[in-house]
Amino acid sequence: MSTPAPAPARRPLASYVVGRSGLRRPGPDAWRTAGITVLCVLVAMGLAALLVTISGGSPVEVVDALFTGSVSDTAGWSQTLVNAAPLLLVALGACIANRAGVFNIGQEGQLLIGAMVGCFVALRLQGPGWIVVTVALVAAAFGGGAWSGISAAMYYTRGTNVVVSTLLLTFIAAQVVQFAVNSPSLLQESGMGSGPARPQSDAVPEYLRLASFGQYPDLTIGVGVIVAVVATVVLAVLLARSRWGFRLNMLGLNPMAARHAGIRASRLGGSALVLSGAFAGLAGGVILLGTVFRLQPAISNNFGWDGLLVALVARSRPGLALPVAVLFGALRSGSSYLAATGVPDYLVDVVQALLVLAFVVPPVLSALWARRIRNRAPVADTPARPSAAAPAKEEVPV
Amino acid sequence: MWLDDGGTVLASALRLTAPLAFAACGEYLAERAGTLNISVEGMMLSGAFGAVAVGSATGSPTVGLFAGAVVGLLVALVHANLSHRIQINTFVVGLVINTLVLGLTSFLLQTMEFSRTQVGMLRIPGLAEIPLLGVLFEQRWPFYLLLLVVPLTWFLVNRTRWGLELRAVGENPQAADVSGIKVNVRRRQALMWCGLMSGLGGAFLSVGLVGSFNSNMTAGRGFIVIAAVIFGAWRLKGTLLGCFLFGAADALRLALPSLGVELNPQLLVAAPYLLALAVMVLMAKSQREPRALSKPFERGLV
Amino acid sequence: MSHDRARTDGPVPALELRGVSKRYGPVVACDAVDLTVQRGEVHGLLGENGAGKSTLMKVLMGLVHADAGEIHRDGARVQVHTPLEAAELGLGMVHQHFSLIEPLTVWENVALGEPGRIDREAICADVEAVGARYGLAIDPTATVERLSAGERQRVEVIKALRRDPKVLILDEPTSVLTIAESAALFEVLRTAVAAEGRGVILISHKLAEITAATDVVSVLRRGRLAFHCRTADTSAPELARQMVGRDVSLRSEGAALGLVVTDDPAKHLTPVLAGGLDAVPAEPPAPEAPADVPGTAALALHGLCVAGPDGRTLLDSLDLEVATGEIVALYGVEGNGQATLGDLLSGLMAPDAGEVRVDGRPVSLDRPGALHEAGVGVIPEDRHRSGVVLDMSVADNLVMTDLRRFSGRLLMRRAQIRAQAEELVERFAIRTPSIDAPLRTLSGGNQQRVVLARELSAEPTVLVAAQPTHGLDVGAIEDMYARLREAAASGVAVLLISTELEEVMALASRIAVISSGRITGILDVADASPQRLGMLVGGEAA
Repeated sequence: MSTPAPAPARRPLASYVVGRSGLRRPGPDAWRTAGITVLCVLVAMGLAALLVTISGGSPVEVVDALFTGSVSDTAGWSQTLVNAAPLLLVALGACIANRAGVFNIGQEGQLLIGAMVGCFVALRLQGPGWIVVTVALVAAAFGGGAWSGISAAMYYTRGTNVVVSTLLLTFIAAQVVQFAVNSPSLLQESGMGSGPARPQSDAVPEYLRLASFGQYPDLTIGVGVIVAVVATVVLAVLLARSRWGFRLNMLGLNPMAARHAGIRASRLGGSALVLSGAFAGLAGGVILLGTVFRLQPAISNNFGWDGLLVALVARSRPGLALPVAVLFGALRSGSSYLAATGVPDYLVDVVQALLVLAFVVPPVLSALWARRIRNRAPVADTPARPSAAAPAKEEVPV
Repeated sequence: MWLDDGGTVLASALRLTAPLAFAACGEYLAERAGTLNISVEGMMLSGAFGAVAVGSATGSPTVGLFAGAVVGLLVALVHANLSHRIQINTFVVGLVINTLVLGLTSFLLQTMEFSRTQVGMLRIPGLAEIPLLGVLFEQRWPFYLLLLVVPLTWFLVNRTRWGLELRAVGENPQAADVSGIKVNVRRRQALMWCGLMSGLGGAFLSVGLVGSFNSNMTAGRGFIVIAAVIFGAWRLKGTLLGCFLFGAADALRLALPSLGVELNPQLLVAAPYLLALAVMVLMAKSQREPRALSKPFERGLV
Repeated sequence: MSHDRARTDGPVPALELRGVSKRYGPVVACDAVDLTVQRGEVHGLLGENGAGKSTLMKVLMGLVHADAGEIHRDGARVQVHTPLEAAELGLGMVHQHFSLIEPLTVWENVALGEPGRIDREAICADVEAVGARYGLAIDPTATVERLSAGERQRVEVIKALRRDPKVLILDEPTSVLTIAESAALFEVLRTAVAAEGRGVILISHKLAEITAATDVVSVLRRGRLAFHCRTADTSAPELARQMVGRDVSLRSEGAALGLVVTDDPAKHLTPVLAGGLDAVPAEPPAPEAPADVPGTAALALHGLCVAGPDGRTLLDSLDLEVATGEIVALYGVEGNGQATLGDLLSGLMAPDAGEVRVDGRPVSLDRPGALHEAGVGVIPEDRHRSGVVLDMSVADNLVMTDLRRFSGRLLMRRAQIRAQAEELVERFAIRTPSIDAPLRTLSGGNQQRVVLARELSAEPTVLVAAQPTHGLDVGAIEDMYARLREAAASGVAVLLISTELEEVMALASRIAVISSGRITGILDVADASPQRLGMLVGGEAA
């Protein structure tokens, strides 16, 4: 028999995140996916509007405020880009790890460690500004990479779950940073004579801060943005065209076949995990030297978590991560304008989470649908009726 | 003197253990069925919020407590359907749910007014007088629900057919499927139990211990619960021991300044995570972990 | 259960299927199949891979829902929606791949899939009682992962028999059993059928097993019932013809159908029951010294030892040599170390001890890809597991083991990849809509050709083919045989790892038998008879 019964697709983790190569050219599946996505985004927006309304706000005002704060003028755009850069860097790292089939969710911690190491270098290293800045950023990347490297080492020597170890290490990272900024011998500020030293580091001197081009209120573009965009282009090309990218994909989609083809998972997958941590660490360095200028326990400000969400929405494609990061950056900068409308800025977190769902659910749903059409009768339990599955998304306890 | 201090620390440790223990009963059961549920944090947080919201609206913290459990269940329903019905990666779902719940509860907290609402103490006369251990018998009453929930969880997993099927599903879903067990139904049900218990744990935290809700009040306790299950090597006894250890570490951190003892507070906060990581590394080859943990099941997939 | 139904002599069949149809999209898996099973008879169900046997049984067990057709039990029409309902109707099944949960105990496994409360004592007593009745002794409190393949099969059978099924379905039950174990299993079946009036459906793709162990036989071909007859009134060649749907040249295709073809015309068509009911041969096999291959062995395995994660020995100082241009078969019952050896030669694991030499040079087994570079091509046992990446394109799959050849310092050379892919698709007659199509969209036979094309395109010194015909239809099997012979003729040393007696007898010039991870003997094909191989498989002539 040359036509076997179509078995339900085997879908390793990576394919959930990367998407299937078959979707590259828009076929009926792609159109269906796009359709469902539009629908889901509309539902997400509807839910957000509902939330605004029950909190006594006006959805129109909220949209207006978000818009004003983010993209209505050059100042807004500047802020949006400042927010987007670290999100994008974190997302790029997540793309690499996801492609390799190792799911790193500890970017928040890796970012913190990166910021800490970068801060240490910036405050202790003497030398010409540009050299210190470069070394500090590289050190930040090393810091983040080392932190995710712990998970990589645990995974490839002992087989411990990467998701769990990166998650747990995030909380340890937070305490490491706490310790650093509470220890005068490490990074705690020397104190300006007035009052007790607070749990934060000294400010990075003026000449070590990342340059930005343009002058307020014109559009300003920081070095962080440029680094992130260049990294995106390079990574997009490498993932799509290079031998390294080919091997990463192979490892993520079928580790056994990859090994048969001569790929050492511990080396390639481990380096992917380290690299993803390094990108998060670099993001930490960019935040430190670009916007916050001193190490604080809250310096990560959820950039790690949100960057990971950006990668999920972008389905691990750097090219898509760029616009998504800008969108999430715009939501962030817009949120500071929400206060005037009386709607809590936490709305933005809700919207982001709903957006992620709206982009993650449709491809899966669409594949399920396609299979159902192919084998008309449902297999006993597994596939849900699409009509039953879609509302599941809305059962969010509001 | 040390006895008093000891009693105080122990009392505080017990209070901090209880929310963990409730949620751990749920997480333990879910993991035995093969779901490494990272949204337990979101379930606890939503339970804590739901309890205060309903408790304050109805004026009855008891109603609030159970409402909190139900809210946890609703969150579990979302997670279960997304990950074990339409088969989205369970970690992605968990991540999003945690973000969503954190955002939503913080948002609602700022748009609503809640009155204080707290359940009463239950002091068992006589026993509460015992030095040191007396604190066991002077707790907010839902604390004693643990006496019901823990044995019940153990019984469900180890003595019922449902539990046998859960374990089968967590170890080898393909074989369970051909034996006629509805794998994804069982996994969804296990998550329901996890949601119920986590909601209860979160509710105990808010209407039991604190009496109000504040933003992100679970503060990573859900992740400590995951650490506890790993620490306990997927056995209930070990899991509960882990909860107590981690609760005690938390209590010590709070008590140290007043006791005048020098111990690094950051180390104590990080202790649960460090211990869990250490156990993961040491126990990696012991094969106690359910073999299909966090592996999705679809029929026809080998 | 309608026990009290009149048992008239005009026998009401225990089980009757009428017009059962099931389609998966455009593919018709079962097309109006009728099947009747009487009490006290063993009904053989024969068919190629993909002929619809499994689908039909899944319909019976409630794992798949038929699009049309009726099921009758003892004359009454019934509906089967779930395995639970099937069990209540007295249908029991022993699955091809075990449905046991390894970390659970025997009694827990036996209890799985039933309704109602769990009574440990009663179930343990039951296990022992059923075991005693059929001679299937097993400790109910043992953990399944500690049991051997044969013992696990026992648990499966006990699990099915404990529910007192009126119709027992066995799906390829002997694939993991040794001769002695198979014989014992058929003994149990005889008891269950003759003394207790149960009906049995025996599913197999082995002609030999069907002709020896069944009373009635039905043949499925492309989803349709092609043939039905009393076993005594038919012959193996007839069944073979019905299975494939045309006359078969037994010389070239016999092996693909499970027939041993010998040069003796008198024995020409003798089907051999691997482990038949009375298969113990009179002559003990002569102890064989491993054949001396001159020092030019293209592939030499020396003292390979591998222990599993639980400490069980998987390979036990295994020695084997394959010379240039020769096909050597490694034959044995599934689960005796073949999978481990296949993984080892695919570079998926390193041995605890021993070495692999290719062309006399030792290969470092710790480094993935080292074997491939040394000139070892592998067609893996489970191509989906380690042979291909289903979500990558046909072209990508065709070049993935030789990336250096198709890339510059950094970037892949797309044009060169496409050229190579076009050429291989042409040369190996791979049917694909385009070289950019995801491999997932190809049929099993064409996926296997992609693997073969890729591995041969590297011009290997050695080709390891592990179960290369598993899951393929007869056409694809013949094609695979031809290509393996061709490879050997062109000077490649071929190691064929197979559990199919007929396959190894047809292809190999020498047959090494593996049992419990050891080579128990090596025979020239001229000296090999099913009986002698059978003894070696049982590990008796070590």
